[in-house]
Amino acid sequence: MKRFLETGNFAITEGAILAGCRFFAGYPITPATELAEAMSFRLPQEGGVYLQAEDETAAMHMCIGASLGGYKAMTATSGPGFILYADPYGWALGCETPLVVLNSGRVGPVSGITGAPGQGEFYLTRYPTQGGNFEAICLAPNSAQECMAMTVEAFYLSERFRMPVTVLADQLITDGFEDISVPENEEEMKKMGFRTWSRKIHQGPDFYPATDEIDIPPVVLGHNTGALCSDWTPTEEGYDIEEVEAHHKHAYRLIYKVRNHRDLFNHHYDKKFMDDDPDLIVVSYGTPSRVVNTAVSKARDEGLKVGALRLINLWPFPDEFFGAKTKYLAVELNWDGQLVREVQRAVPKDSEVHFLGSCGDLPTIPDLIETFEKVLKDEPLARKGWKLEAW
Amino acid sequence: MEYRATEITSRYLRSRKIPSTACSGCGLGMNHKIVIQAVKELGLEVPDIVWGTSIGCAGRQTFATWKGDGFAGTHGRVYAIARGLRIALPPEKKIILTVGDGDAFGIGLTHLIHSARSNADMTVIVNDNLGYQSTGGQYGWTTPQGSKTDSSPYGMFEHNLMSEGMDVLKILKGAGATFLARHVAMDGAWAVETVKKGILNTGFSLIHMPYPCPTNFGSRELGSRNQVNIFRWIRDHSAPLGEEKEDTFWATGIWHDASNSRPEFSQFVHETVEKIRRTGTI
Ligand code: SF4
Repeated sequence: MKRFLETGNFAITEGAILAGCRFFAGYPITPATELAEAMSFRLPQEGGVYLQAEDETAAMHMCIGASLGGYKAMTATSGPGFILYADPYGWALGCETPLVVLNSGRVGPVSGITGAPGQGEFYLTRYPTQGGNFEAICLAPNSAQECMAMTVEAFYLSERFRMPVTVLADQLITDGFEDISVPENEEEMKKMGFRTWSRKIHQGPDFYPATDEIDIPPVVLGHNTGALCSDWTPTEEGYDIEEVEAHHKHAYRLIYKVRNHRDLFNHHYDKKFMDDDPDLIVVSYGTPSRVVNTAVSKARDEGLKVGALRLINLWPFPDEFFGAKTKYLAVELNWDGQLVREVQRAVPKDSEVHFLGSCGDLPTIPDLIETFEKVLKDEPLARKGWKLEAW
Repeated sequence: MEYRATEITSRYLRSRKIPSTACSGCGLGMNHKIVIQAVKELGLEVPDIVWGTSIGCAGRQTFATWKGDGFAGTHGRVYAIARGLRIALPPEKKIILTVGDGDAFGIGLTHLIHSARSNADMTVIVNDNLGYQSTGGQYGWTTPQGSKTDSSPYGMFEHNLMSEGMDVLKILKGAGATFLARHVAMDGAWAVETVKKGILNTGFSLIHMPYPCPTNFGSRELGSRNQVNIFRWIRDHSAPLGEEKEDTFWATGIWHDASNSRPEFSQFVHETVEKIRRTGTI
């Protein structure tokens, strides 16, 4: 095991290499640029290829091409680039191409504020492309070390499910320096819970079976298997077809291969003080969860019966954690309220759901504790500049 | 030259997709046949080529026709996919892309230019039906000026990539393409020879091949779906390079041949990576 004081970007690079990634294409964008730079330095040392693309659309399409040729591939961006991934993301979902996408969130919409953390892409990671008829997988680490772990995990899931997997971080996690341990061999990787999956090659002829099965090797071109992949609705062999019945089978696969194998990733969460039926469950992910965890511990010291639920596996949304009929508070880095809507959907009827937003800046611990108190006392939450707690 | 469709189709094409669903009288099949004939004359076999296609008439009608491995990109992106794939494929595998003019010269032009810039080994056949015909017939970036289309009812009056002395091949030459040519669908054996040279270039080759679309372009511009009219019109407006007349839209032949004059993208990248891996420097 090697230890470093390094950034999340460094950790992601090392995680990708451990997972077998040997191709990265990207386009410079704050705050994901340092990851591209780290890849450009590290990949050639491992015999891997770093390419700079003419734009984000090309970057992810180049990753698709490399993955279609048998490489494990990755790209990284921030919100304004992630929106340009919509096009290749849909292609990769439809053709079931494994690859990993990192999105380091900043403040939006559009270019917004480049050097501050934001969580405006919660739903965008669920619907990274148009058209619907698919499930998406998204993992949200909250530290540099976890960035490494979730990058390795994202490669693992992308191979088994044959699909792109998003790692959603934010500017504070990817740019911040932290203590990082990098495993040096497979045994150490196993000890750290890192799972890997090697690339296999589909031999055909039914490249797109109408089942919810996982562990089907993806399409790899150049092995003369007669593999076909396209942007159109495929037959099981990959021919383009304009038929509702074929589309139904295709959509079934894209949705249920994920929904029916939730057991593979629903252990990715973090709970604090959740065993005594707390009166308030504080839900968060990514950087804000670190402040939330501290605030919840302090609130407990002060006698408030609060618990913290941190989500790592964001999509598919882990509804199973929201079975308690109690009060909920979603803390997130946006002002419009995104996570909170999903919490509202998942909780039992008549549960109370509240929202605490901020953006570009983390909520403070006193702010959080004050909010917990107000929610517990049924007092209205008036937030900076807003009269009502509206979301 | 004698084209025996049955022989080349059974050797190289999938019976499920040939004949294609293109409109009857469409000239796309002539272009397609020229390319397959070139493949045959080079002695290439199905495993030697991975075939990519684009969106639109040219892309959709040629997708999955190749007996071997095939892929299709969304609007304009196939050149970026092909570049990533080029890195992963062994150098002896050829990539051929059959695409349309809207895809290559409109939405995909940036990716096309960067493929030329990097000299990635691929042969791009731009099947030009003079606009967006699969969407019903709107003008594109090579539509001759004055042409009536559904989106230029008064005649196409925008400056485009083939108007007023402009030529899209000049842009690609400037970007670093190592083989560029133009033929119309009626050029037959002559076009086959050119496509062969394009495939033999280990680098970025592009052959621009206008072809007749009787259904949309022909019916709107010439007022008739009669395929003979549009075939004649295209033939009459083309002439071999150096023999252009006043009304020539398409000067045909090899436009720029710098085959194998500079390192190919993927080979160069892999060699450089290997050097860095061994020595830590380039
Ligand atoms: S619309 Fe024109 S180009 Fe398209 S298939 Fe029909 S004839 Fe060919």
